[in-house]
Amino acid sequence: MGLNRRAFIQFSVGGTLGLLVTPVIWKTLDDVSIWTQNWGWIPTLKKGVEERVPAVSKLCPSGCALRVETVGGEPYSTTGDEDNPLSKGGLCPICADAVPLLYSPTRVQGPMVRTGEGQYQPVSWDEAKKLLAEKLGAAGSSVAVISGDDTGSGNEVFSALLAELGSDDYYMMPSPQMAATRAWNGLMGGEGQIGYDIAGSDFVLFAGADALSSWGPTVSNMNAFAESHPAGEKAKSTYVYAGPARNHTSSVCDSWVPVHPEGMSAFLLGLAYNLITEGRYLESGDFAALRSLLASKYSPAQVEKLTGVSKKSLAELAGKLLRASAPVVVADYGCSPAVAAAGIIVNLLLGRMNTWGGMVALPEVEPVLGSALDRPTRFAKDLPADVASGAFAPKVCLIYDANPVYGLPQYGEKIAEKAEFTVAFSTFKDETAAVADLVLPAAHPFERYDDLVNPFGVANTTYVASSPVVKPSLDVMGAPQFALDLAAEMGLDLGFENFEEVLEAKAEAAEAAVGTVGSYSVGLGLPALSDADKTSGQLALYAYSQLHIGSASMATTPHNPTTIRDTELQGKQMFVRINSETAKANGLKAGSKVRLSANGVECQALVHVDEGVMPGVVAAPLGFGHTAWDEFSMGKGGNVYKLLTVSAGSGGSAWTGSAVTIAKM
Amino acid sequence: MQVKEFKIKWGMVIDIDKCSGCGACMVSCQVENNIAPMTQEDPHNHLQMMTTKRDDPSNKLRTLTWLNVYELNNGKAFPEHDVAYLPRPCMQCGHPACVPVCPVVATDKNEEGGIVSQIYPRCIGCRYCMAACPYHARYFNWWDPLWPDGMDKTLSPNASVRPRGVVEKCNFCHTRYMKAKDRAREEGIDPMELPEGYYVPACVEACPTGAIVFGDLNNPEHKVAQLAKSPHSFRLLEKLGLDPQVYYMSKREWVREQGDNHAAGDHNSAVKQASQGHE
Repeated sequence: MGLNRRAFIQFSVGGTLGLLVTPVIWKTLDDVSIWTQNWGWIPTLKKGVEERVPAVSKLCPSGCALRVETVGGEPYSTTGDEDNPLSKGGLCPICADAVPLLYSPTRVQGPMVRTGEGQYQPVSWDEAKKLLAEKLGAAGSSVAVISGDDTGSGNEVFSALLAELGSDDYYMMPSPQMAATRAWNGLMGGEGQIGYDIAGSDFVLFAGADALSSWGPTVSNMNAFAESHPAGEKAKSTYVYAGPARNHTSSVCDSWVPVHPEGMSAFLLGLAYNLITEGRYLESGDFAALRSLLASKYSPAQVEKLTGVSKKSLAELAGKLLRASAPVVVADYGCSPAVAAAGIIVNLLLGRMNTWGGMVALPEVEPVLGSALDRPTRFAKDLPADVASGAFAPKVCLIYDANPVYGLPQYGEKIAEKAEFTVAFSTFKDETAAVADLVLPAAHPFERYDDLVNPFGVANTTYVASSPVVKPSLDVMGAPQFALDLAAEMGLDLGFENFEEVLEAKAEAAEAAVGTVGSYSVGLGLPALSDADKTSGQLALYAYSQLHIGSASMATTPHNPTTIRDTELQGKQMFVRINSETAKANGLKAGSKVRLSANGVECQALVHVDEGVMPGVVAAPLGFGHTAWDEFSMGKGGNVYKLLTVSAGSGGSAWTGSAVTIAKM
Repeated sequence: MQVKEFKIKWGMVIDIDKCSGCGACMVSCQVENNIAPMTQEDPHNHLQMMTTKRDDPSNKLRTLTWLNVYELNNGKAFPEHDVAYLPRPCMQCGHPACVPVCPVVATDKNEEGGIVSQIYPRCIGCRYCMAACPYHARYFNWWDPLWPDGMDKTLSPNASVRPRGVVEKCNFCHTRYMKAKDRAREEGIDPMELPEGYYVPACVEACPTGAIVFGDLNNPEHKVAQLAKSPHSFRLLEKLGLDPQVYYMSKREWVREQGDNHAAGDHNSAVKQASQGHE
C-alpha cells in the first residue's frame, strides 16, 4: 500500500490529535519538571526522647558551660546552663554552633602521618603511639609542648609527661591570662590567680579589655553586666570602656573613653597619678619609685599626649573611681604585662584588692600530677622570644589545643621548621595540622572528658568538669588521655592512667582552694612600666577580636557567616574601619581597596569609614584570613595576627607595637 | 482588616541598651530552626561547573536571618559617635501587612498567642508577603537547604526543613510553644496560663546579656507587660499602625527616634547611613 497525499494528511492529523489526547507526553513533562527539581537528599528529622545534658564546650577561648540538647541520644543544639554560674543560661556565638561542628567535614577523621608536602597517610592510634614513643625516646629531653588550653587539666598531663622526659619547655599561647600572670606572679611577685568581681562592683572600668565580647569569661561578664543593668530600671553600676574604637563592649557600656592603641599603660598610669595626687598610697617598697616615675613620665599633660585622653577627662574618671563604693579596673591590651601591671596598680591604689566587687587573688588549684608545672610557671616561658632567639629547637614538639601557625603566624610558621618532628593534636583541619608531621585528631568537646579550672577572670574558685555527651563518630580521642597512654607505652609513671581520674582528683584540689590569697606584699613591676611611653607617631593598628568571626584557634563556624555584617566582610574582602579624618588624610573613602602593612607583611582590605574609631587608628578584625578549615572561613579576608608587632618588654613579649601603614591599591 | 484579639499575646521587649551585638541569638535561631549554613558548593549537583554557585553569606539579600541584628549609629562624628545593636525577629504584628496579601492563606494570624503563622507546604513563593512586610522579616529560599556533608545529622527536631521556593520567617520558635503546652498539661498547669519563662524562644534563651525579655503581653504578671509600658519603650515604625508584638526599649533618645521613622525624607542622614548595607 502506497502512502498517498490523503493518507499522509489523515495520518498527520490523526497523529497530532492522538498526541494531544494521550496523557503520556504531559505526564512525562510533569515528571521531568518534578525530577529535575528534586533534592539530592531528603532531610528527615530524628524522633526520640529529648534531653538536655550538661557539658563544657572549649571551642571559645574561655570555655562555655552549657547544656547539649539531644534527641534520641543525638545532639542537635546547645543552650546555656542556668544552673552553672559561668553561664546562667547564656552562651557565646561559637558554642551556640558547637553541635553542627561535631559533624563538620573539616574535622580530622583519624591519625595521620605526613609523607610529603601536603600528603598524609592514615595510621592507627597504636601505630601513632609507637611512632611517637620512638621519636620521643630518640629525642631525650629535647621536647617542647605548645598549649592553647587556657583552662584545662590537660595541661598538667602534658606538663607531667614533659617533666618525665626531662624537659621544662612548656609554652602557652599568648592570652590575657598570660599577661596578668606575668605581671602579677612574675613582675610584681604576687601570689594566686588574678580575678575580677565584676558582678559585685558598682563602677567597672574596662581598660582595653573587650570583656563583654571576647575577653575573659565572656558569658559570665555579660551576666554581671545584665544583672547590673536590669531592663526598665535604673542601672545598679556604671560600666566604662576605654579603648581605641567603639566595639561590642563599648556599645553597651555607659560611656566610652577613647584611648590610643599605644597608650593603654600610660592611660592607667595617668589614673594612678591622679589617685596619688588625691592622697592614695601603697605599702610597697617600690611606692616612692612609682611616684617619681609617674611625676617624670606620666603627668596628666604627658599622658594626654600619649593617649589622646584630656587632662580633664582623666581627672574626672579618677574622681569617679574614687567616689564609687566598689570600683574595679579590668585592664588588658595586646597581652601586655605592662598594661596588666598598671591595671593592678590602679586597683591597689583604690584599695580594691581581695574586696567585694574588686580585684581578687584566687588561691592556685594545686597540680594533681606530681611532676606537673604549676599555673604561673606554665605561663613563664616566652614562645615568640625563644623562637626569635633560636632557643626553641626541640627534636619533638607537641602542639596541644592550639593553632600557632594561624594565631601566632610570625613564629608559628617557624615552629614546624625549627622542631624536627611536630605533632598536632587538632580537632579540625586547621593551619597547624596542615604542617604537622603527625596529626592526632582530638575529640570534640562533647566527645571527651574535659574541665575548666578557674577560667581566667573569674572572681571565685570555679571548677567545671564534663563527661562525653556522645560517642565519637570518628577515630578520635581526648588528647590528655592519649598523653597518658603514651606515657604508659614509654614506661613513664605519671601517677594516673585515666584522664577521668585526673579530673576527679582536680575537683578535690579545687574544693580545697577556695577563698582568696591572704597576704600580698608586692613589688610594682616598675621596669616594665618605665618604657610604656613610646609612641610610633604613625598610624596605629587596633586589632580586635569578635567571637562570631572566630578566635586565635577557631575559625568561623558554619552558622556564623550570616552574623558577619557586609561592612565587615564582602565576599572574600574584609573591611578595616577608619575615621573620616584618617580617610581624608590618606586619600581614602568608603569602599577604597587598601593594603595594610606592618613588619614587612601585608593584608588587603576595604575601607569602612566609621566615626567610632579614633583618628589616626586603623581598627582591623582578628579572625579572618584562614588558609585551612572550610569554605566558611578559608580565603576570606586577611590574617591580622600577621600584622601584630611583637615587642619584647621586661615582662615578656607583647603585641604592643602597633605601627601600620595604609596604602590605596 | 480588624485586629484580632487574643487572650494570650506572646511578645518581646528587647532592651537595645543591653544588646552587645555578639550574634549568639542569630546562631541559636539558625540551629534551632534548621536554617542551613550557606554552602556555596552543592555536593548533589553534578553539573557544578556549568551552573551558578550558590550565594555567598555576605550577599545579605539572600541570607535567611529570621532574627537579624542590625547596627545603628547616631550619625555623629568622633568622639560623640555612638553605636547600638537592634535584633529584629518577626514582629508578629497585631495587624500584619503580610497576611491579607497572601493569595493562598499560607500565612495567618489565627492562633491563641498571636503568632503569625507560615505554612510552608501551602506557600507558592509569590513573595507578596515579603513586599508587604515593612520590617524585612520574611525570607525567600532561593536555594535548597544544604548542610555540609554529614552535618545534617544534627538537624533539630523542632522545625521542618523548607525547600527552595517558599517564604519563611520567625515564628517565636512555635514548636517550643507546643511543647510547653504539652508539658503544662502533663504537669497539671493550665496551658492558657503558662508561667513566665515556661515557654521561651531559642534566641531569648541564648542571649548572654538578657537583652530580650519574652512573655505574654496580656498577662500583667509577666515582665514584658510592664516593660512594654515603660517611657523608654517603643515599637519599630509604630506610625504604620501594624501593632507589632515586639517592643524595644532604649534610654538613648536617638535610638528611639530612629525606631519610629518610616518615610524617606523625614529622617536625618544618620538613619540612611545606619541602614546602609544592612538591608
